[in-house]
Amino acid sequence: MGLTPFDRETLLDLTVNVIPLGILGFFILAFIVVNPFGWDPVISTIQFAIVGSMFVLLTILTYYAGKAISDAEAEMEAAEAAEGTDAETDESTA
Amino acid sequence: MAGEQLALTVLMGALLVAIVALSTRLENWRSYTPLAGGGALGEESTTVHREKPAGIVRWLTTVDHKDIGILYGVYAVLAFAVGGLMAFLIRAQLVVPSGAIIENSFYNAILTSHGITMLFLFGTPIIAAFANYFVPLLIGADDMAFPRINAIAFWLLPPGALLVWGGFLIPGIGASQTSWTMYAPLSIEQTQAGADLMLLGLHLTGVAATMGAINFIATIFTERGDDVNWANLDIFSWTILTQSALILFAFPLLGSALIMLLMDRNLATTFFTVDGGGALLWQHLFWFFGHPEVYILVLPPMGLVSYILPRFAGRKLFGFKFVVYSTLAIGVLSFGVWAHHMFSTGMDVRLASSFMAVSLAIAIPSAVKTFNWITTLWNGKIRLTAPMLFCIGFVSNFIIGGVTGVFLAAIPVDKVLHDTYYVVGHFHYIVMGVIGFAVFAGIYYWFPIFTGRMYQRKLGKWHFWLSMIGTNITFFAMLVLGYLGMPRRYATYEFDAAIAPLAQVINFHLVATVGATILLVGQLIFVWNIVQSWLEGPHVGPDPWNLKEEAPELYGREYVWHENRLETALADGGEEEDVATDGGEPTDAADEDAPDAADE
Repeated sequence: MGLTPFDRETLLDLTVNVIPLGILGFFILAFIVVNPFGWDPVISTIQFAIVGSMFVLLTILTYYAGKAISDAEAEMEAAEAAEGTDAETDESTA
Repeated sequence: MAGEQLALTVLMGALLVAIVALSTRLENWRSYTPLAGGGALGEESTTVHREKPAGIVRWLTTVDHKDIGILYGVYAVLAFAVGGLMAFLIRAQLVVPSGAIIENSFYNAILTSHGITMLFLFGTPIIAAFANYFVPLLIGADDMAFPRINAIAFWLLPPGALLVWGGFLIPGIGASQTSWTMYAPLSIEQTQAGADLMLLGLHLTGVAATMGAINFIATIFTERGDDVNWANLDIFSWTILTQSALILFAFPLLGSALIMLLMDRNLATTFFTVDGGGALLWQHLFWFFGHPEVYILVLPPMGLVSYILPRFAGRKLFGFKFVVYSTLAIGVLSFGVWAHHMFSTGMDVRLASSFMAVSLAIAIPSAVKTFNWITTLWNGKIRLTAPMLFCIGFVSNFIIGGVTGVFLAAIPVDKVLHDTYYVVGHFHYIVMGVIGFAVFAGIYYWFPIFTGRMYQRKLGKWHFWLSMIGTNITFFAMLVLGYLGMPRRYATYEFDAAIAPLAQVINFHLVATVGATILLVGQLIFVWNIVQSWLEGPHVGPDPWNLKEEAPELYGREYVWHENRLETALADGGEEEDVATDGGEPTDAADEDAPDAADE
């Protein structure tokens, strides 16, 4: 277990949402670096809030969906493994 | 005066008697009256115990998710017919620049009603039709979590439709001419009572959709079978779950905004007037609902295609989890893109640029799905049945609809093309070419389950090809019209040829109308095929698509259920060889149909 609670395969699946997150991140940086229309306390705050809130919400949803799915998979594998052991035991007793 | 009233009373009395007489003919009322049946006299009752009451009472009282699914489906197809005829009137009107057949005000009314009908009376209900019938079967639930709320949610829709169409149905009050977006101040200033009825009807359908959504969320979270978890939940149920969450956040907001608009119209409040919040406030509230609504309408059809396409490609959906995560991503991002409908309203360019950023980001999950569908087809064992043809048509149309949408998400391009036919072409590629096609795929794929019969395969293919050709001719011509500068929503277009090339505009309007005619012929074939096959089509066996042989791992839960249904129907008593699943024919005949059905 590394920095995340996900295994390699789940991380690979989650990359699908890393791409839109990357685009949102790119625009947040771009709006900071290139700012031809000036800074306005209200407008600029809303501007960053729109992109930023999407970034945060997508990250949270992706995390929890990934966790729910990988937990369910782990349970399934555990159940299959248990069944497999039972079957072997049955065979050996037969 | 008294004579008139007497005559009216007699007439109403006669009408009531006629209704009672009709309903007793349709239904033996004693069959479900607990005290009836004459048992006390020792006579044999003619009453038979049925699972459900017979006749029309069954449909009025049902809380079975499958029956409600069929009710939703029939309702939606009727609405589709109404909306389609309105669309055809619109295209016929625009054959000549001065308007061919109807008055401008009537044109405005059917333009408004066509949009509302197709999105709220056809689009949302037809998805609910599939979801009601199949989500419980796919997740191994006995029924929806709240079956009665499910029935109530459906029964709010017919009055909703009557209200939406009230302006046409009640003479003299005038139909709404607001366009489906109901932009203020136009929508406040119009005096037709039909507009108020339409707003109320729309509100009712929104309440119905919200009730349905809560039911789906509760069902998918709590009613799943023991062997269904988040990792093996089917893709269609995932999209319904996401869609329901979107409905939960979006539709109550539309409801609130509609009430505010109704108050502006009738109680002189100033929510959306210049003295109040201004016309832009309506646009912000409307599109905060309206853009998620686009995804409410498109996510389940994407789920349908993700579900059906692999079954005729003979292999599992490529990157199943990619599709799940990208569905969820669309669910979140759809709430951050609403103002891309408002780039030309003069809002601050910094705000506009942030909406552009999110709009470009939301294109990625959609593109991911497209690549997944294409990769699933790659090297697959493709069977070109009608549902598969519609799936492939869906992918093709989605590429055009999607790419034209990405252009519109870019502020500079949008400023040029805003409010032209380009926008109309773009979203019709999505609503007809994508949502419509996926719906047809779903109807054909599951037709054997909800009717027990097979449709006419040749007519199904005619329907596909006419729809595919009609869609692309009509809506591609609209994209071109947009580039030529033809504004949308106009009843006539006799503008100065110096502004835009009028001769070319006329030609492309003609092309679009020819396309619409082809589409109309295709849909007539569809309706004929569905009705005729429902009544007279050959009975199907347990595996009408021959999936057990072609793609055994994709033999869906709903077909397992279908197989069980046929088996339990057989065991219902009597001798097995004489009792059939289908009302009289020997079971062998039913089995013989199966290979035919799977031929293609």
